[in-house]
Amino acid sequence: MMWARFQKQFSLFLLKVDFKSENGTTILWAESGAGKTSILDCIAGLRRPDSGEIRLDETLLFSAEKGIDLAPQDRHIGYVFQDYALFPHLSAEGNVAIVLPAKEKHEARQYLERFGLARLKNRHPGELSGGERQRLALARALATKPRLLLLDEPFSALDLRTREQTYREFAAMRDELDICTLLVTHSKTEADRLGQQVIEIREAIGPQGEYEHLAGQFPGGGSYES
Amino acid sequence: MNPWGPLLLSVRVALIATAISFVLGLLFARLLTRKTVRLSFLWEGLILLPMVFPPTITGYLLLLLLGKRGPVGSLLDQIGIHIVFTWPAAVIASATVSLPLMYQNCKAALLGVNRRYIDAARTLGLSEGRIFRQVIFPLALPGILGGVALAFARALGEFGTTLMIAGNIPGRTQTMPLALYSAVEGGRSAEANMYLLITVVISFALIAVVSVCQKRAAK
Repeated sequence: MMWARFQKQFSLFLLKVDFKSENGTTILWAESGAGKTSILDCIAGLRRPDSGEIRLDETLLFSAEKGIDLAPQDRHIGYVFQDYALFPHLSAEGNVAIVLPAKEKHEARQYLERFGLARLKNRHPGELSGGERQRLALARALATKPRLLLLDEPFSALDLRTREQTYREFAAMRDELDICTLLVTHSKTEADRLGQQVIEIREAIGPQGEYEHLAGQFPGGGSYES
Repeated sequence: MNPWGPLLLSVRVALIATAISFVLGLLFARLLTRKTVRLSFLWEGLILLPMVFPPTITGYLLLLLLGKRGPVGSLLDQIGIHIVFTWPAAVIASATVSLPLMYQNCKAALLGVNRRYIDAARTLGLSEGRIFRQVIFPLALPGILGGVALAFARALGEFGTTLMIAGNIPGRTQTMPLALYSAVEGGRSAEANMYLLITVVISFALIAVVSVCQKRAAK
């Protein structure tokens, strides 16, 4: 279980986050520009919140009060960026192998096989299709055996037909892996199809008239209707 | 006068000087592109000074530093090492003036690596050292190689600083630019034209290297 309760000031708005993510897939849903990627960055340790706490199971990843701020390397969180950030100078196999310890390099092949990429192992990311890149990014993230998986709009770069198939593959993989996943999307369809729990980001006006973006679970629905 | 002696000396001096400025340039660029260094503008200024200084001034400063009574030279003197007016002095001169070019190219290349690749590597558990060796360095390599080519060209053409600290001793410290000067001064135009031809060939080769590197860096 992942528990995030923190605040971070941006130039245009104050981001207030307060939600729990149980095992299974939690959807973080909002129209674009609401600070979704920033929330994932904070959880992964790439950005530092101004205050609050982030907890993963029994581990305190971040606590402003206690001065705890684990490095991304120590958080064991898999993070698939929206543009995947596959290493362009490495082959598909190299992209997975680089995250494996020296003794386990040979396992890269198994991860590629599992995601249907075995025959593309020597291709570089630039020579892969959108769907293949997405699966490679997922394979690479899972090769680190993460305790939590963050997916930032993982399907947005795919065309509609590939997307349908990828939804099915994703659902199958999720059930098989049983890994706690936080998936960011601006698409309601995606939220409905994949989410077991939906966190919504709402805009609000604070007491001093400042813009606030609140991420949490709001009882009674509202702008999001599941 | 055999033109190959000065050419070979120049190439040897420039290769060693480029190797030194590659190591130092990359090291300084790495250290100073991470935010944690205090007074980084001061260090950077020191590295870049030889680029704006007249070469003879840089040479004079090196002479003060490395001469028998200089702070470094007197120490070396005690263990019997005399650098001034030897070919290693030409290496020091070339390395000093090529370092700013190397540093600037390395810095731009390192900063040009997309931040998200580094972020991804960190979430994937790679240590900062491995991220530098396996992600940042290979991605910055085209830009770094461009810096190597420019630094080599600068080292090969070094004149003023070398003259001040290594002198112009035929057969010992007379590099090609100095030999060209002596040839023209002595009215030996055949020899001078030979140097011109060699320089044109080498320069075109280096420009080709730089443009290939820039094309690859732009990808």
